[in-house]
Amino acid sequence: MSFALPARQITFGRTNASQQQQPYQYQQPQQQQHGGLALPGGATFIQPQQPTGLSLPGPSPLSNSYVNPQTKTLNAPVTAATTAGNAVAGPSTPPATQVPATPVALTLEQQHITAVEGIVPTLQNIVATVNLDCRLDLKTIALHARNAEYNPKRFAAVIMRIRDPKTTALIFASGKMVVTGAKSEDDSRLASRKYARIVQKLGFDAKFSEFKIQNIVGSCDVKFPIRLEGLAYSHGQFSSYEPELFPGLIYRMIKPKVVLLIFVSGKIVLTGAKVREEIYTAFNTIYTVLCEFRKP
Amino acid sequence: MATAYYEFYRGSSIGMALTDSLDELITSGAITPQLAMKVLQQFDKSLADTMVKQVKTKTTLKGSLRTYRLCDDVWTFIIKNPTFKMESNDMVNAQRIKIIACKNGDAIEAGKK
Repeated sequence: MSFALPARQITFGRTNASQQQQPYQYQQPQQQQHGGLALPGGATFIQPQQPTGLSLPGPSPLSNSYVNPQTKTLNAPVTAATTAGNAVAGPSTPPATQVPATPVALTLEQQHITAVEGIVPTLQNIVATVNLDCRLDLKTIALHARNAEYNPKRFAAVIMRIRDPKTTALIFASGKMVVTGAKSEDDSRLASRKYARIVQKLGFDAKFSEFKIQNIVGSCDVKFPIRLEGLAYSHGQFSSYEPELFPGLIYRMIKPKVVLLIFVSGKIVLTGAKVREEIYTAFNTIYTVLCEFRKP
Repeated sequence: MATAYYEFYRGSSIGMALTDSLDELITSGAITPQLAMKVLQQFDKSLADTMVKQVKTKTTLKGSLRTYRLCDDVWTFIIKNPTFKMESNDMVNAQRIKIIACKNGDAIEAGKK
């Protein structure tokens, strides 16, 4: 995981400017996992690098009142790297204040939410596909299932909805199914399973195979207005801004491959991601850029 | 367009009454079953047309939609706790109702709602 990202200190909640200056390397959380797990508990405590921490003002940015698991990922790499005797932890590395004896198992989410200014994009929609692996008679499904619509003149699929998780499925005669509307990966999977179960109960030999998340949409608000013209001009390669057609700027990020709709108001929509980390990474990347084009 | 009419009005109280009467007439030998069928078909047609052209009473209803279905151009809605507000401002409540909505004959011909 190496991102060509401008280094950025993670901060939960608002912190002062000096703390934000501190670069934070994205690769580190992963190193920590490997290093931390491979080493027997005690060994991880050797910290020859500690003096480097002195270059930092104050007690370290980690003394945030908000105790978050993320801070641990910041500390640990120092130890992991030094004991391994390779990577040089530069002065930019936050000081290792305390390292937990056993690294706290971080959820994927925690590893990757690197909230800038405490802003984390919220997931709004997840689209997934499933192959039920059996031919379906859509009319039977439409007649017997609840909350189903089937109008073959308009659309060659049964449109079915469930209330929990609140989602919509398009079920095709080939046995392929598209499930939309979920707000999380787990919900998307759970909903897909429920649809598969409904189809099964109607007497089809439906399986649950090839579940794949095809798209994730997130949104957030940076809470300051943005000069879209300036952004479009200096990032012309990625941007398309036609206010007469659409009021938002369309930013096609290459890495991660995510499309962002950026509005003057500071509201952002991120789409095209296959995993939620791409949404987070894309937001963090764009945030630095947006700060440059903040409306005075 | 003899076949373009739905038969579901036969299940209504007026339809049931007609069916019963026709049954009686058939058993007493007054009419033939074929004639009875013809009468019922006319009933389907007449009632459908009357509903469309002459019944102007309206009601609004509010409730929570439990289930819906669309198949063969027929919408089915099951509504919980509906409240009907009649034109005379009467309120009528029910626990659960089922609405079956079909296209009328003209619409079927025209191919639109």
